[in-house]
Amino acid sequence: MKNATLPPLTFLREPGAAPDPAGLAEVQDIVRACMQCGTCTASCPNAHAMDLTPRRMWRMLLFGLFEEVFQSRTFWLCSACYTCTLRCPRGLPLTAAMAALKRLAAAGDDAANRKKALFYQEFMRNVEKNGRVQETGLMFHYFLAMRDPLLPLEYTPLGLKLLRKGKLHFGGGGQRGALAPLFGKVREMEARP
Amino acid sequence: MKKEYGALVVGAGIGGIRAALDLAETGHKVALIDARPSLGGILTQLDHQFPTDHCGMCKMLPLTQRDQSSQYCLRKGLFHKNIDIYLNTELTGLEGDPGKFHAGLRRRSTFVDPSRCVSCGKCAEVCPVRVPNEFNAGLGERAAVHLPVPHNIPNHYVVDLDNCQRCWRCHEACPTGAIDFKFEGRKDFHVAVVSPDQEIIANLPGWLTAENFPVHPETAGEAVLDSIAAGLDCKLLLLDLDLSEAEAERTLRRALELRPGLAVVLLTAPGKEETAAALLKQGARETLAKPLDQRTAVPWLDKLYMRLVSDRTLDLEVGAVILAAGFECFHPNDRPQGCADLLLYGQHPGVFTSLEFERLCSSTGPSGARLERPGDGKPLRRIAWLQCVGSRDVKQNADFCSSICCMISVKEAVLAKRLTHGEAEATIFYMDMRTFGRDYQRYRDEAENQAGVRFVPARPHTILPGPDNDLLIQYYDYSGALREEAFDALVLAVGARPPKSMERLALAAGVEVNDWGFCATKALSPNRTSRLGVFAAGAFGEPADIRGSLIQAGAAAMGASRMIRVYRGPREEVPEEEPEYTDVSREEPRVLLTLCTSCPTLAHNVDLAALRARMETLPGVVKVAEVPTACTREGWDLLRREAEEAKPNRILIGACLPYVHVPRLRELGEVLKLNPALMDVVDIHTATFAGGNGDRAARTCETASLLAMASAKLLGADPSPLPQATVVSPQALVVGGGLAGMTAAMGIADQGFKVVLVEEAENLGGLTMNLRYTLEGDDPVRFMEDLVEQVEKNPNIHVLKDSRVVLSRGRAGRFVTVIATGEGTAHTLHHGATILATGGHEARVYEYGNRVHKCVLTQMELEQRLAEGSVDASGLSGLAMIQCWRSREEERNYCSRICCQSALKNILMLKRRNPELPIFVFYRDIMSPGFSEHFYTEARRSGAVFIRYTPQNRPKVEFEEGKPVITALDPVLGAEIQVRPDLLVLSSGVEPNDAAETAELFGVGLTADGFFQEAESKWRPVDFLKHGVFACGLALGPSTMRDSLLSAKAAAQRAVRILNEKHLSCGNVVAEVRHSLCSRCGRCISVCPYGARSLDLDRDMIVVDDLLCQGCGSCTAVCPNSATVLRGFRDEQVMAVIDAALAREPGGEARP
Repeated sequence: MKNATLPPLTFLREPGAAPDPAGLAEVQDIVRACMQCGTCTASCPNAHAMDLTPRRMWRMLLFGLFEEVFQSRTFWLCSACYTCTLRCPRGLPLTAAMAALKRLAAAGDDAANRKKALFYQEFMRNVEKNGRVQETGLMFHYFLAMRDPLLPLEYTPLGLKLLRKGKLHFGGGGQRGALAPLFGKVREMEARP
Repeated sequence: MKKEYGALVVGAGIGGIRAALDLAETGHKVALIDARPSLGGILTQLDHQFPTDHCGMCKMLPLTQRDQSSQYCLRKGLFHKNIDIYLNTELTGLEGDPGKFHAGLRRRSTFVDPSRCVSCGKCAEVCPVRVPNEFNAGLGERAAVHLPVPHNIPNHYVVDLDNCQRCWRCHEACPTGAIDFKFEGRKDFHVAVVSPDQEIIANLPGWLTAENFPVHPETAGEAVLDSIAAGLDCKLLLLDLDLSEAEAERTLRRALELRPGLAVVLLTAPGKEETAAALLKQGARETLAKPLDQRTAVPWLDKLYMRLVSDRTLDLEVGAVILAAGFECFHPNDRPQGCADLLLYGQHPGVFTSLEFERLCSSTGPSGARLERPGDGKPLRRIAWLQCVGSRDVKQNADFCSSICCMISVKEAVLAKRLTHGEAEATIFYMDMRTFGRDYQRYRDEAENQAGVRFVPARPHTILPGPDNDLLIQYYDYSGALREEAFDALVLAVGARPPKSMERLALAAGVEVNDWGFCATKALSPNRTSRLGVFAAGAFGEPADIRGSLIQAGAAAMGASRMIRVYRGPREEVPEEEPEYTDVSREEPRVLLTLCTSCPTLAHNVDLAALRARMETLPGVVKVAEVPTACTREGWDLLRREAEEAKPNRILIGACLPYVHVPRLRELGEVLKLNPALMDVVDIHTATFAGGNGDRAARTCETASLLAMASAKLLGADPSPLPQATVVSPQALVVGGGLAGMTAAMGIADQGFKVVLVEEAENLGGLTMNLRYTLEGDDPVRFMEDLVEQVEKNPNIHVLKDSRVVLSRGRAGRFVTVIATGEGTAHTLHHGATILATGGHEARVYEYGNRVHKCVLTQMELEQRLAEGSVDASGLSGLAMIQCWRSREEERNYCSRICCQSALKNILMLKRRNPELPIFVFYRDIMSPGFSEHFYTEARRSGAVFIRYTPQNRPKVEFEEGKPVITALDPVLGAEIQVRPDLLVLSSGVEPNDAAETAELFGVGLTADGFFQEAESKWRPVDFLKHGVFACGLALGPSTMRDSLLSAKAAAQRAVRILNEKHLSCGNVVAEVRHSLCSRCGRCISVCPYGARSLDLDRDMIVVDDLLCQGCGSCTAVCPNSATVLRGFRDEQVMAVIDAALAREPGGEARP
């Protein structure tokens, strides 16, 4: 990406490959007042792992470079710690913008992005079912959804480490289904016109 | 009796002082008040100001009638016969209307009697309290009794009662009994207590009786009211709110009826706060939270007693009010959302605010200008500045730019380099470097290229403690790479905030505040507040640097002066009689020497008899008189009687504080008919204090020397009368009929003086006529139409259109100018002052396809086409703007000031008409100082995309099928981008109109860019070196409409100061040329800092303009032939002084 020459900008009214123009316009609206100070990037705990810094990603959104944005993994890596939102001198709700991007990417046609969204989907499904995260179940369903037989092998060392430290949770617990009403309410709200 | 003043100036910072001086020089009496115990505001703490990096405050001192004020360092004190200064004083209320305001003031006592305090410092030595020292911005500590600033004259200690522990040690230690805590008064200070609370009735009387207060406890309100009605002279009523609400209220109301002004303190139990708030509005003074604790309640009540009996209220009747309460620096600890924790402020000894760093650089600072870290003493060699701390941050209600911090940081970086002889590495982290003043960009470039200051466009946001107590600063550069650098110190460029007392002051003065808490002003009447007759000066209405503050103050002074004249009429214009002095030039010198002996340390440290004996032997001394307390009225009367008796023709006074006494010499001179130039005051006070300066004999000898030197100087003083005063022609000439010229003409004409306004064009109006709308939403077309109409109808203004100045001669007070009109007639004009407002124009652009392609416009063209409708925003598919076209780089290395704001206003207009229109702005730094930052935020929010470029990498413009194609590098994307808009708009900037001829005619200078060169860019922003000629508007430097209005009004007031005088006379100390010795080498001309000297080619001699000459003596020093002499400092006189200093004591040894 660095120093690559991007295709010349033209004034396309409709963002070309955008999955959801209205949704993207909303995200653009969030970051319009950005003055590129870079506070978000500097305060992001995950910035080191991102391929685009948050500042650059906001910039690309403003320029309408949606394809590049959706190819990046930056917004997927946002852990919603809200530090950028807290510290942005322009008071922009950047974490919300990150979340919106995740939502848009998951709903789009890009296979890679849909696959990246699987983890979030499985995570939420797991939480809804169990009332909290049930790690072994999550792992099982995630690997199943990814349809990649080698993936469990890749994660084995991490799994063993977690197991040793007693961080893996094997079912049970009293919260099962406790969050179902909450999820139901959200679904109802989202279904409203 | 109510004191009457022309104007009340609230706030004695730099803006307040400028406004007060402008008014005082115009002949108005001014009351100057400040809540602080010292003059000078924030500038007392700042030693260095760019671009000179020195102080230069004294350049503000009056140049005309300069003997009416003391010509001393203005940072140390201000003495002018028309200015009364009230320190520790706040405005509490303002009633009435313009011309006759009644101002209520409260003067807080300092508990130190200034007439007795000898500033020996014994009180501070014994004081056990240590609190952060405000003067050093919290670095270092001070006692509760302290000197507010170290350099004031006179400088007296003050007691900070809030922090006082009431140990009374200072009172006991004071050798002169100057500290008064009102011990005697306690036994007559009756305190009534009403409380149903048995505990209070049981304890409180005992506690207070132990402090000597008579106490009258009651359990019911009725009982205490009865005893007050029966004649109990109670001064303080403690009212417990545990009484029923109705009873408490009735007791309060009745008590205040019986004794208006009675101090009532509400004892407020938790939960009663609302009742307390209601009663406070009904006249109760304070609240005191219950339950009472003896350790806190008794000191609190005792301090309240001291305040009640010591504070004074004053009532003034004033014609106009100027508010100049300035600003306060944002403090990282200030708010809950302050950024102290993120920036390690207060946690790491290397993190400073810019004010603290300024103190570190000062010789009077905590480390004496050695750049060392307080705490571990580590030399500061790697220093970072972080811009926009507390500015440009919507989350801290700071959607404004503080305007001052960028230049402060550049200056501090240069200063740090200089203090460490270039060793220190200075790095400035910034978002936009706002170098929006005329010469600021060059200063920045010098800092970068010559001093080696590094500028990094980034906003680091987390600071981490590193190894070796370093500070690690992490930031992402534009390429997206994480960088980490270690520094010794981090300076936070803290922004401006309204003063803490703003709410109270706004309420007291009845003015409105804006969204950010500053005083509300309008863009096209920027010196006025929301209340008629009340003006805003300095940085009170909008954050401003010294230059801006002074211009704003001058404009406020003009407003006030006009208001006083309009509403008060000629009441104040009683002509003062010029004192006449006897000519003593043919008399033998007869010196009366008086010694003030009141100071107790004098008798102790000096052998008075020996001193007196030695003084009597001095040549010319006819009498040595001892006068106790020369500083009091009685002492001064005694001195006068002595003088009347001895009939001297020279008077020498040995006393303390010459600064204070010198203005009174004029008074004495009027009585004795003796020129004050033949009198002098010598400080015999400091020598007796000078610490380890030897024994009593040595001190006596030193004091004697001081007196002998002054006496020798007086003997040699030239008693011949001063050169004849110039008679002032009460008429002004304004050259240029644009916005600034017309505003200045109105400012002078409204004050009753005739003005001739000369305009080269056929019509008035100038550049501003091209504007169609403003950023703030005003209507400039209508404004200009009104202004032109007012000018043309004003009976005091004579407009000459299609005319130009062809010749001008003369000097301040008396110019003769010839004006040629288009019809070929010539007018000869006698005028006392001249204002040059020749304006400027939009720079002509021939690059980037302008004038070739129809799709390329300038900002002003776009504005006009949008207004008339020939550019239709909804029909465009895209628009690009390029800022700083040829500005801010050589040839035109200045910020044009208006282009960013034009761009912002055009963007907002376009977006209002077509929110979907894509707008791309290529910029270097967006200059939106002050509250215009808000519009920058708005423009970003509206969707315009701002793309930064550097001079090395500017956008390329090509044309395809008649449409612009702009290719540029976006630093945030790190990639080339290309835009294809319909319209390309260039911010071409402004250039001054060709003023070379005008400048030559009036003998004034131009800058390299062709703007007028003012006398001093900071301290005399609208004056020329040549006295009596002033500049304003665009000709002085790029300016917005607001700036032009302000500078025009300030210039008008400067001119009125001169027109208001009947005569202009020079000071006592002026240079003269002995033409027979002069070789016309001209060295004195170039060295004169006031431009007072010139070579008269007709007469072939060097001439000195005695009005311009300030008696600095530079010419005398540089003259190779001793042809130039300074009146009052002739060679023989100075030699005699040296002889006197080295003279042997009769019968004693020569002094070492």
